[in-house]
Parts: sequence; structure tokens; C-alpha cells
Amino acid sequence: MAAAAAVGTRVSRLLGRSLPQQGRPMSSGAHGEEGSARMWKALTYFVALPGVAVSMLNVFLKSHHGEHERPEFIAYPHLRIRSKPFPWGDGNHTLFHNPRVNPLPTGYEDE
Amino acid sequence: MTHQTHAYHMVNPSPWPLTGALSALLMTSGLTMWFHFNSGTLLTLGLLTNSLTMYQWWRDVVRESTFQGHHTAVVQTGLRYGMILFIMSEVFFFAGFFWAFYHSSLAPTPNLGGYWPPAGINPLNPMEVPLLNTLVLLASGVSITWAHHSLMEGNRKHSLQALLITISLGIYFTLLQTSEYFEASFTISDGIYGSTFFVATGFHGLHVMIGSTFLTICFLRQLKFHFTSKHHFGFEAAAWYWHFVDVVWLFLYISIYWWGS
Repeated sequence: MAAAAAVGTRVSRLLGRSLPQQGRPMSSGAHGEEGSARMWKALTYFVALPGVAVSMLNVFLKSHHGEHERPEFIAYPHLRIRSKPFPWGDGNHTLFHNPRVNPLPTGYEDE
Repeated sequence: MTHQTHAYHMVNPSPWPLTGALSALLMTSGLTMWFHFNSGTLLTLGLLTNSLTMYQWWRDVVRESTFQGHHTAVVQTGLRYGMILFIMSEVFFFAGFFWAFYHSSLAPTPNLGGYWPPAGINPLNPMEVPLLNTLVLLASGVSITWAHHSLMEGNRKHSLQALLITISLGIYFTLLQTSEYFEASFTISDGIYGSTFFVATGFHGLHVMIGSTFLTICFLRQLKFHFTSKHHFGFEAAAWYWHFVDVVWLFLYISIYWWGS
């Protein structure tokens, strides 16, 4: 029941966009509905955070640490574009350059 | 005696709009100097003056409201309008990047191979870290709602606890996303895929950092007893901004990470 309410609340919140929190008739600094904080606390500790934990587990289980296979380097002209040098370093490395998986226009650095 | 006979706030003369405008000039010209003439001085100066302006301007708003009582109901209404309009302008800002993404991805050009993701691009698996990121932000939306209700019910301990959880989740998102940026096999220079991906997610990440900062300020203010259970617009504005950031991510996730893979 709490889960269904949580999903319903979350969906209406997703649709809420930039408006103040949805479905709060006594909002805008007015007196808060008694006990509603308790519900949101329960949602936080029993639904939201466990959801994050499950997702963390999912990432861990799916991760392949130290994978050596990486895509073969093909010098596609539409990739690794260098219209002008980057304003840092040697101008040829992106800001989050990772030598293991990011080849330069001339190929992987460690080959 | 000099008493006003209306409920509005006639703000005292302030130098911060001028310093803000000057900092904007320094930052823009600084970017030009950095990109084209290999000099970072103007940009650094611009960033410094910009930070100082923001700090002092908003410090003054807190002084005028919390300590001098100028924020009457009608003043607060004006601030609400202001924040809503600002967030709307940000919505349009992101709309542009989503337009760019869909323009390029719905009709991939021949030089990309005629399909999306383009040839040679290995997109991130949406069911791994991006999914975790989604749950992290959704969870932070729940915890910030808890924080708000605790604040309204006058529960100091819980409002601080919930705010702390929210901020931590925001920082966790930023760390995860930074890791993803390093791990991705594609870069910003990888054609239109790289451009749309990193500009859209990059600006989003910047907004997450801004939102986290805003929430941290609220946390510190709550520690110092600035908020009451009925008057805490600064917190509400931060919460609205945070929900906006969450919603932008949901659109990013569905469009770029999921559909776009």
C-alpha cells in the first residue's frame, strides 16, 4: 500500500515539472499536514534509499573490472574532430581523456 | 520619523549589480582570451569577481530578510514569481539542447552511417550507472520532501538529517557522473553524438552542483536557526530548483541514454 502510494506520489511529482511540490493543498509556508513528515521519512528509508542500494548492487554485479577488450581503432572522419586545439595541455586531449578507452585522432596512445 | 506606509521592500543602493555586470564582461572576454590567445588571467579574474558578487549579494538578501524583516508576504510572493520565472528560463535553456539532440538523432546524416548512435560510437549502457544515477536523484527528491515537511512541522533534527541525505545524494550523483565521463569510450570531440551528449549532460551536471550548493547554504542557514516553520522561502526555492534538476535528468536519461542508445 505504501509502495503504491509512493509510486503514485512519484509519478505525480515527475509530472510536476517546475511547479512547487504537487498535491500539497496546505503548502506555501502554511501549516503542514500533521504526520506527513513521518510518511516521507518512511519513504526515504524504506523505498528511496533501498532502491539506490539495489541499483548499486546491480552496477557492481554488471561491472567487468579490468576489461581488456576495447573496440578496434578505425579512423572515422566524423569522430575525434580537431577543428581547433583544446585550450589546455597539448591541445589534443579532451578534458576527461582516458588513455585506455579514448583514442586520439591517430589511434590509441598505448599501442 | 521615516516609516514606510506600504509592505514592499525598497532595497537600499547596492554595488553588487554593477560588480555582477562587470564580472560577466570579464568572464566573456576572458573566455575569448583563453580560447584564442592562450591567456587565462581575465577569465580567472572574472570567475573571482563573479563568485564574490554572488556571495555578497545573497548574503545581503539574507540580512534584509532574516535579520531586518523586509520580506513581508507580498515581497515573498514576488520572490516566488521570480524563482518560477527563472526556472522557466532554465527549462528553455535545456530545451535548446534537447532540440539539437533530436534534430541530429531523428535523421542521422550519411557521414554518421545513416543510423544512431553513429558508426564507431559505443554508448553507455543505460541499465548500469545511468540507472543508478536516476534512482539517486529520485531518492533525493523524496528526501528533500521529507526535509520540507519536517521543517513545516518544526522538527529541527529531522529537517537537518533529511537535508544532509539530499545533499549527500547530490554529491554521490556528481561523483558517479564524473566517473562515467572518464570511463566513456566516446568524447566530446566525437562528432555530433559527443557534442550533444556532453553539452546536455555537462550543463545538467553544472546545475546539479549549483543545486547542491544552494541546498548546502540552506543546511547551514537551518543550523543557524534562520528558518521558521512558516517562513522558509529560501529552502522552498532550493527545493524547486532541485526538483527541476531531477526532472531534467529524467528527460536526459530517457532521450539520450535510453532512446538514444
